[in-house]
Amino acid sequence: MHISEGILPAKVLIGGYAIAGLATWYSLREINKQKNPTEGVPKAALLTAAFFVSSSIHIPIPPASVHFVLNGLLGAVLGCYAFPAILIGLLFQAVMFGHGGLTTLGINAVIMGVPAIIAAQIFQFRYSIGHRLKPHVSLNLFGFFAGATGLGIAALLFFGLTITNIPSDFDAQTEQTAIFGLMLAHIPLMGIEGIFTAMVVSFLQRVKPELLPS
Amino acid sequence: MNMKGKLILGLVLFSSLGSSLGWSEKVLAHGVQIEHSASQAIEINAKYDTGTPLENAQVTVYSPDDPTTPWKQGTTDEQGNFVFTPDPSKTGYWEVKVRRAGHGGLTSIPVGTETNNAQVSASLPPDNQNNQTSFYSQTSQGLSPIQKGIMIGSILWGCVGTALFFSKFNFNHSSDQNTSNVRQQESEG
Repeated sequence: MHISEGILPAKVLIGGYAIAGLATWYSLREINKQKNPTEGVPKAALLTAAFFVSSSIHIPIPPASVHFVLNGLLGAVLGCYAFPAILIGLLFQAVMFGHGGLTTLGINAVIMGVPAIIAAQIFQFRYSIGHRLKPHVSLNLFGFFAGATGLGIAALLFFGLTITNIPSDFDAQTEQTAIFGLMLAHIPLMGIEGIFTAMVVSFLQRVKPELLPS
Repeated sequence: MNMKGKLILGLVLFSSLGSSLGWSEKVLAHGVQIEHSASQAIEINAKYDTGTPLENAQVTVYSPDDPTTPWKQGTTDEQGNFVFTPDPSKTGYWEVKVRRAGHGGLTSIPVGTETNNAQVSASLPPDNQNNQTSFYSQTSQGLSPIQKGIMIGSILWGCVGTALFFSKFNFNHSSDQNTSNVRQQESEG
C-alpha cells in the first residue's frame, strides 16, 4: 500500500505534498475549533502507534501478501485527528523501515489519510442515516462501513495511481496484470478491517464511550 | 615400432599440439561447442521487507552513459534474483529498477570504480567472494529482528509517553475547571 521512491513521477509527488498540506491545514483547523484541542491527543498518539505497527502485520492472501492499514479505524475513532496521526505514522514508517519514502510521504498521506477523513464522515452517518436502527446495530454497521471504505478507497487510489503511471521502460500489460492481482487480494482485507473496526468501536462504546467522536 | 605404437604416438603428439594452441579450453564433440570465459557478472536480489522474494518482477538496467534508455530488461526468478553482465568499458554507476504491482525500487551499482572492486566485482578470488556475499547479505537483509524490535519499541514508547503527557495535562485542565466550578458555586451560595 505504500508507494516507494522512484515509482511515481515528480509532478505526482509534488501534487501529493500539496494535497497533503491542504488536508493537514483542514484537519488542524477542525482540531483548533474544538473546546479543548489537546483532549484528543492521547488517543491520537496511541492510535498512531497502532497504525505504525499495523504495516508490519502481514496477512497471506494468495496470490499476494497484504498488510493491515487501519486508516478507516483511525478515521472512525479519531475524526479530525486522523490525518495528522497517519502523517506522523507514515513518517516513522518511512524513516525507520523504509516503508514508502520521504519523497512519497505526501502522496502516501493522501492515499491513506484522505480516505480516513471520509471514513470519519461515514461513521458520523450513524446519527443521521442510522438513527432508525437500534443504537448498537447502527454503531457496528457504520463502524464496519468506515473501516472497509477507508481501506477500499485507499486501495483504489493506490492502484489508480500506479496503473496510470507505469513507465514506458516496463511492460504495461505485465504490470497491470500484477496490479489487478494485488487489488483482488485487498477485497478480503476490506472485510477484515471492517469487522475489526466494528469490534473496536463496539468495545469502546461499552467501556469508555467518550472516546468515540460524538 | 608396430602400427599400434605409431597410432598412440600420433595421438599423443596431436593432443600436445592441441593443448599448446589453446584447444584445451574447448570441448568439441559432434558439433557441440562449449566455451567458457571469466566475466564480471552482477547478481541482484529483490525482496519485500518481510523477506519474501520479489518473484517475476520486471527489471530494467540503465548504463552509466545513458541513464534514460534501458540497456537491458528482464524479470527476476522465483527467488527474486536477476543476473546481468555490465559492459566493463562503461564505468560508473549502473542503475537497476525493479517493479512489480506498484512495488519496487531503484539501486545504483558502481562498476569500475574503487568501491566496486571491494563490493560488487564478481571476478574476485573465492576468499574475496565470501566477503562480497556477506556484504550483500548485510545490505539485503537490512535490520536484524533485535534492531527492528528496539526501533518499534522506541516509537511505541514515544507514542505512549505523548499520550500520558497530554492525559496529565488534560486531567489538570479538567480538575482546574472542576475547581473553578466549585468556587463559582460556593460564591453563588
